Amino acid sequence: MDTLKFKILILFIGLGFFTQCEKDDICISSVEGTPDLIVLMLENKNNTQKTPSGFTIRPLGTENILAVSSGDSLALPLQITEAVTQFEFILNQGSQDENIDTLQINYQRVDQFINRACGYRANFILDQSPILILNSGNNWIKGAVILKDTISDETAAHLGILF
Amino acid sequence: MKLLRTWVFCSSLLLGVLLVNGQETETLGTDLEVADSLEVKEKIPLSLRFGADLYRLIRSQSSDDFQGFEAVADLRIKKDLFIAAEVGSVEITEQSEQINLTTKGTYYKIGFDYNMFDNWEGMDNHVVLGLRLASSSHSQFVNAYTLLDRTPFWQDPETKISSGYATGERPNLNAFWLEFVAGFKVQVINNIYLGLSLRLNRLLSDTVPENFDNIYIPGFNKKTEDNKFGASFNYTLTYRIPFRFKK
Repeated sequence: MDTLKFKILILFIGLGFFTQCEKDDICISSVEGTPDLIVLMLENKNNTQKTPSGFTIRPLGTENILAVSSGDSLALPLQITEAVTQFEFILNQGSQDENIDTLQINYQRVDQFINRACGYRANFILDQSPILILNSGNNWIKGAVILKDTISDETAAHLGILF
Repeated sequence: MKLLRTWVFCSSLLLGVLLVNGQETETLGTDLEVADSLEVKEKIPLSLRFGADLYRLIRSQSSDDFQGFEAVADLRIKKDLFIAAEVGSVEITEQSEQINLTTKGTYYKIGFDYNMFDNWEGMDNHVVLGLRLASSSHSQFVNAYTLLDRTPFWQDPETKISSGYATGERPNLNAFWLEFVAGFKVQVINNIYLGLSLRLNRLLSDTVPENFDNIYIPGFNKKTEDNKFGASFNYTLTYRIPFRFKK
């Protein structure tokens, strides 16, 4: 009788192996990844948000044009392998008085642990002087103001570009 | 999966041993039953048993990413009660989702085992339930990782970051947990035992590394999210010192 009990018990212990499930590590889609830089175009005179006419942005080194919808904030992707990312801010694109200003965004990257499944996301901290205008003369961009120097999410604007 | 297969293999080996043992004693049992009523109850002496975990030894040999050792010992203090302890060290490198990490550390576990198995005369097998208090001191080293980027633009999201930033060592970590043990031990030849135990671990506390988590805790194994439980096992070969302390 006892050996039978013994065998049954062993069977249960053996079953333990097969039922020993492990939760899958899935990074759920609601977890935010590496954020983009959120930029507002501000009119220099009264600091009101406005989209200039014929305005587009081209990340330097690409042919891509970032979609700019009027009156909205802009999401600029930052490079993680560099401490700077350059963009061409184009005014009156395609017309006679087209004006291209090349802006360099300066920042530092800090990687933040999310959890086991998602790993790390990059956060950025804007430098004291967040932008550098690379072309000289006839700049239509006047400067920039830091609205929030730590870029850890996309819920609020980080940088205001004055024109 | 690899782990599971190894264990099905090992436990089937052990199961075979058990069945053979059971048969032997069954035939013996009929002879001994007559003598049973005349038998004088023998005093159970203290006896010390020690050994090592075979699984970790084999895994250390077969895998480049694992170096581990676990020594086990128990001391019989009553007929069915043992003081039991395990001491081990681990160095393991693993890819956990986006992160490649190396965990290095030592652990010890101390507690008791209770034998629920009624042995036939001359047998010394155990079906054991037990409890351990366990503690580890370890360090974690983030070797490389990829960044979560939902809208990759500039770089391939598989770009590995293998230096600077969040990589590097998180030293001086500790964890403290409770372990529920279920297992068995079989005396295969005189004084030599094979044992298998399953452990359900309940994490009590751990020092969370800076900008990281205890993804692996030596002795506890994988720490899961939103869940304080873990699991581990060992497969031991132990030797009982023939010398017995008289009580």
